Amino acid sequence: MKPAVLMTAILEGDSAEAVLQAHLLTAAGVGAEQIIVEAIEPAMLRLDKKCTAEDFDLLEIMLSGRAVTEVMKVLYPSGAPASSDKGTVVIATPEGDVHDLGKGIFKMVLAGSGYRVVDCGKDCPLDRLIDVVDTERPLAVGVSGLLTTITPQVRKIKGMLADRGLQHVRVLAGGAALKQSSASALNVDFIGESAFDGIHYLNGLVRAER
Amino acid sequence: MNSLERIAAAAAFRKPDRVPVIGQVFGHAGTLAKVPVDEYVRDGETLARCQLEALDRYGYDAVFSVMDVSVETEAAGSILHYRRNQYPVVDRYVLEDDVDLAALVVPDPEHHGRMPEMLKALRILGCELGDEVLVVGCVVGPFTLTTQLLGTERALFMAVDDFPRLERVMDYATQVIIRFGEAQVRAGAHVPLVFDPSASPAVIPPRLFREFELPRLRRVFAAFAAAGAMSNWLHIAGPVKPILPFYPQAGVGIANFDYCVTPTEAQTQLQATCLAGNIKPLAFVDSTPAAISASAHELLQAFGDRGGFILSSGCEIPPESRPENVAAMVRAVGGGR
Repeated sequence: MKPAVLMTAILEGDSAEAVLQAHLLTAAGVGAEQIIVEAIEPAMLRLDKKCTAEDFDLLEIMLSGRAVTEVMKVLYPSGAPASSDKGTVVIATPEGDVHDLGKGIFKMVLAGSGYRVVDCGKDCPLDRLIDVVDTERPLAVGVSGLLTTITPQVRKIKGMLADRGLQHVRVLAGGAALKQSSASALNVDFIGESAFDGIHYLNGLVRAER
Repeated sequence: MNSLERIAAAAAFRKPDRVPVIGQVFGHAGTLAKVPVDEYVRDGETLARCQLEALDRYGYDAVFSVMDVSVETEAAGSILHYRRNQYPVVDRYVLEDDVDLAALVVPDPEHHGRMPEMLKALRILGCELGDEVLVVGCVVGPFTLTTQLLGTERALFMAVDDFPRLERVMDYATQVIIRFGEAQVRAGAHVPLVFDPSASPAVIPPRLFREFELPRLRRVFAAFAAAGAMSNWLHIAGPVKPILPFYPQAGVGIANFDYCVTPTEAQTQLQATCLAGNIKPLAFVDSTPAAISASAHELLQAFGDRGGFILSSGCEIPPESRPENVAAMVRAVGGGR
């Protein structure tokens, strides 16, 4: 049983094979964390290098993401792990926008990169988002959107976090509408061109904190 | 030259009296008239009135009977969610529950959903403007309609899991689009714009664009040309550089390009295609007239010797845009009221 076989199945977007390999690994006594570190995270890393701005392939990312999601169900049958070494990320598509394809991709890539994800869904009121952050105490909040009309809401997030004493929580933004702006204009800490950009930023935070 | 002649000249690489300018003003026309977006997209008469008022205010070269990307899927049976001052979104996709495709009918543009309202708007605009100003209709592209019938994620996975079914859905989508676009030309549209955001490389890989979107776009544009469309205008936003070489094969006469493609890249790939673009849409919301003017002049300089250019935004000018920014773009070519 080799995690490399699982990694290949994930990279090929072969969910059925990935699930089979995950079952074989767990049956052989390999722990969930080891499977994540040795198979899933390296798969995400390879996908990151492959899907450059010039050679972007959303479908490939989605297929791998679907395989990762299925494997995570094998590893954690009762749901996502309660904690993660790297930390928690709360994600949402703010109220007024229901386009959540980008958020879904980010969620898959986050899970595959070892982060615990709390998904507040689409069309999410800011008050609810801040409540969840207050409860979960995450490393960061990630928001994405397709519509420019949500930009005024995104600008408010840091201020609302500060009002609750949560100013240390970083705010990341992405998606077709938000990435037209700059981090300073949008009043966020980081704007990602892609889901992997966001992972790089978060990994930098994790390294800095250790 | 009037606006229509100016755009026809640019599309044919002849020298216009000035560079044409098109504000991709859809819901923003409603906002200007204090009509909420959800009302604007449901009433053809209101839409046409708002478009004419916006034309009067800005003095650009085209008006649009464009509602949103859900007109066709609603007419086919999807259920939409309308909310105050927002474009509607699909609440339930007509094909989300493995519905038998054979049970779907191709919508009649004169009777189904909001299609008749779009046609009504075109008739009013055509009647008011004649052949003075470009009157633009709109259909979504085959893959965009497919994602609006199935849901984007499902459509993408179907490309791998059940490609024959995806092709059948796309063929149905193509029939819907052709019938609707032909009706728009009959109602007075000089051009039915093909708006195809889901065909962007940000969503589908270029190899799939070539394999399943290109042949269907070719059929759509051939049908529109046969129906009497003045030109074939394809609008795909986002990082379209990898798919630009396919545009001539599809029969594209006017190609929109977004801010993430440079003028040089677009000109290199499409040497004989009229290009429309590419000021960043969000800039109309959060930038200044001076900045818009500077962007416009950079574009005019980039296309100075080439011709075949229409100054425009990379995608829709957002409804909440600052009017002075739209006016600044129009003034940059010496247009405006």
